[in-house]
Amino acid sequence: MSDKSRVPFILVRLKNFLRLLTKSRLAFSGMLLLIIFIVGAAAAPILTTSYPTEKVAAGLVPPAWTAYVFGATRYSQNIQFGGLAASTNTTGTGLSLQSTLAGPDAIDVHVNSTSGGTILIAKTLNYPYSASPLEFEGTVSIIPTGVSATRPANAIVFMERKDLGQYGPLWNSSLVTSGQQYHQELQSFGLEQRLGFVAGTNLGQVIFSGKGTYSLVLMLTLPQGPFQAEFVVTKLTMSLFGNSFGLLGSDAQGADIFSQLLYGARLSLMVGLVATGIGIGLGLVIGLMAGFLGKAVDEILMRFTDMMLVIPSLPLLIVLATVLGSSLLNIIIILGFLGWMGFARLVRSQVLSLRERPFIEAAKASGAGTGYILSRHIFPNIVGLTYVNLALSVPAAIVGEAALSFLGLGDNSAITWGKMLELANESHGGLAWWWVVPPGVGIALLSLAFILVGYSLDELFNPRLRRRR
Amino acid sequence: MGLRGYLFRRAINTIILILFVIILNFSIFQLLPGTQGVISNLLQNPRITDKSIIGKYQNQFGLCSHFNPATNACTLATPWERFQTYFVNMLTFNFGVSYQSGHPIFQDMIQTGRLYNTLILLGVSTVFSLLIGIFLGVFVASKRGTLFDTGWVTTSLVTYSLPTFWMGLLFILIFAQNLHWFPPGGVIPFTWQTPPPLLVYLAVRAQYLFLPALVLTLYFYGGHLLLTRATMLESLSEDYITTARAKGLSERKVLFKHALKNASLPIVTNAALAFGGLLGGAIITETVFNWDGLGHWIFSAIGYKDFPVMQAMFYIIALCVIAANFVADILLGVLDPRIKYE
Repeated sequence: MSDKSRVPFILVRLKNFLRLLTKSRLAFSGMLLLIIFIVGAAAAPILTTSYPTEKVAAGLVPPAWTAYVFGATRYSQNIQFGGLAASTNTTGTGLSLQSTLAGPDAIDVHVNSTSGGTILIAKTLNYPYSASPLEFEGTVSIIPTGVSATRPANAIVFMERKDLGQYGPLWNSSLVTSGQQYHQELQSFGLEQRLGFVAGTNLGQVIFSGKGTYSLVLMLTLPQGPFQAEFVVTKLTMSLFGNSFGLLGSDAQGADIFSQLLYGARLSLMVGLVATGIGIGLGLVIGLMAGFLGKAVDEILMRFTDMMLVIPSLPLLIVLATVLGSSLLNIIIILGFLGWMGFARLVRSQVLSLRERPFIEAAKASGAGTGYILSRHIFPNIVGLTYVNLALSVPAAIVGEAALSFLGLGDNSAITWGKMLELANESHGGLAWWWVVPPGVGIALLSLAFILVGYSLDELFNPRLRRRR
Repeated sequence: MGLRGYLFRRAINTIILILFVIILNFSIFQLLPGTQGVISNLLQNPRITDKSIIGKYQNQFGLCSHFNPATNACTLATPWERFQTYFVNMLTFNFGVSYQSGHPIFQDMIQTGRLYNTLILLGVSTVFSLLIGIFLGVFVASKRGTLFDTGWVTTSLVTYSLPTFWMGLLFILIFAQNLHWFPPGGVIPFTWQTPPPLLVYLAVRAQYLFLPALVLTLYFYGGHLLLTRATMLESLSEDYITTARAKGLSERKVLFKHALKNASLPIVTNAALAFGGLLGGAIITETVFNWDGLGHWIFSAIGYKDFPVMQAMFYIIALCVIAANFVADILLGVLDPRIKYE
């Protein structure tokens, strides 16, 4: 019976809320913002290609679109070598080769030679940018079969620009063990001296000095005499990291800031909602107890609430986070436990006025117990307040977490918006606007969304504020 | 109950609050793990041959009830005994020794100029935020409903709700890094060995002070503006304002002499409260701008796990807030003859 009557009531409220959304522009924009954030946070793995800490670009490069906006002529973006193919060198006689592609980065080569020779497994790139890449990074990985310690094959990796020369060897190794995987990461840092340059030379700039056709070559030199072997190149890749990247650029570690922003939205929403949930729950319990039980309980609880209200919250947060440790869970709990006072007072005053209403007296007269009255009569009357406060206190929790993270008390494994700002502030290259602006805008807009929704909920639940139509 | 009784009650309340803060501060740091860990670490460290050194350290950090300097023998104090010494220390502002510098905290606070720096920053930003907030609030209230009104209300809400650290970073980015108008942080230039001529000195210091003070001012003026506007709107609708206007008084006199004076009560108490809360708000701003004050000290204490400093700063900030609350209560009681003393 009671369930039947409750469902339409909820529906009416939902209908009212939807009507409010269509009537009030502020409520609508708040809801829209909130939905954008929630969708962005939920779809983070789809919308981004990398994790927040994964290196996918050169360090501290601006967003790709800035080149168009500011009209920069010298810019470059991330680009990769492609078009993997194997070929023989004409110097070898009696050399036959059979290759099968196994994906864009892998190739399987069968070789049959009578008197040695070389095989070239190469990828090409038509470099379209006038500016050089800042860094490059690649992998070569090969499993030979049919080689031995007495008859090894030799593998060399180098890069080549048509007519301008070769740069190598990036890797040079003798393949002696059949079936073993030979693996090497090729990075622009640390290779300078091997290629004959002064340490600290920007290899990207030296090698990719302009537009043109480049190739990345894995050269296999076969031993003399009749030789039959199979080379499985499981990976041959090379990525060039340009001086601009993606939607929001990269941080000092070369991670995607857009990805950090979306994953950070997840954390911020979680911190805000869970911490506020704890705070609202505590406030509800304490407020209900104080208001309904009254007398000594009320006096003690409210004195305690007043004391907690006076104590400055940020220093207390700092002290607690330092002492208890700053994992994300700890921070959420601390924020929750410091966010109940205002709501407790509100609930108490509401309960004090509800307590004297005739319907409570009627319930008491018909023998209802304290628990029954609280859950069936008082609680439904303050549910609206709860929603409103939930929405209105989320921003405080989000900003609180960001402030703690900014002070270095955040969870080091969680890239929250506050953490992003802390890292941006500590970065040595000065502040980068594409790193500083997005998290702050995120915090501000998410707070705004919750405040707008909160006020519109307030209008819905608080009859005194409802506009007359 | 008269005014005296009201003040007495507030005073008792304040004392209870201070007790509460001391107990809270003591118990939070009791939660710290680590004593056992430190002891086993000391015992297992092969470089430390004299194991009795533990007693020396325990004495140094006030953990002993009896200590024999000759043998380094330490009788550990019970938590209750420690609380007693702690309690007396807090009341006498004897905060112990900073782990970072090894100096007494009270001395570090004053002799390094931290207190002075913080007072300058907070003083300037409080004065400006109050002036701007109150004057704008009065004007905004007098032009209720116009674009001027909604514009300033929205602006102050925005600046009030933006995180201060982000505002600070943006200002550094724009005004220090790109435009080079102001230094990105610090209190005075590192290169100053001896102070330059007075005018240069003042100009450069003002340049260093500008950005942090601006951030704090922007953060605090909004609250004053909104409060002034609200109380002004209330008092502008009173009959005596109509009378004053009917008398032919200038609008300026009506606003400031008649309306603001009667609306000033909540503004004054709020200003007192704001001054107490400033120190807490300054932590982040001082950190962003590397302003070597008390707030920045807390930040560096976090990094060094300098617990005595954190404990002392939390206590001092809480004391400021409590004192501000007390002052606000007194002001309210003295200024408003209508107040009802329960």
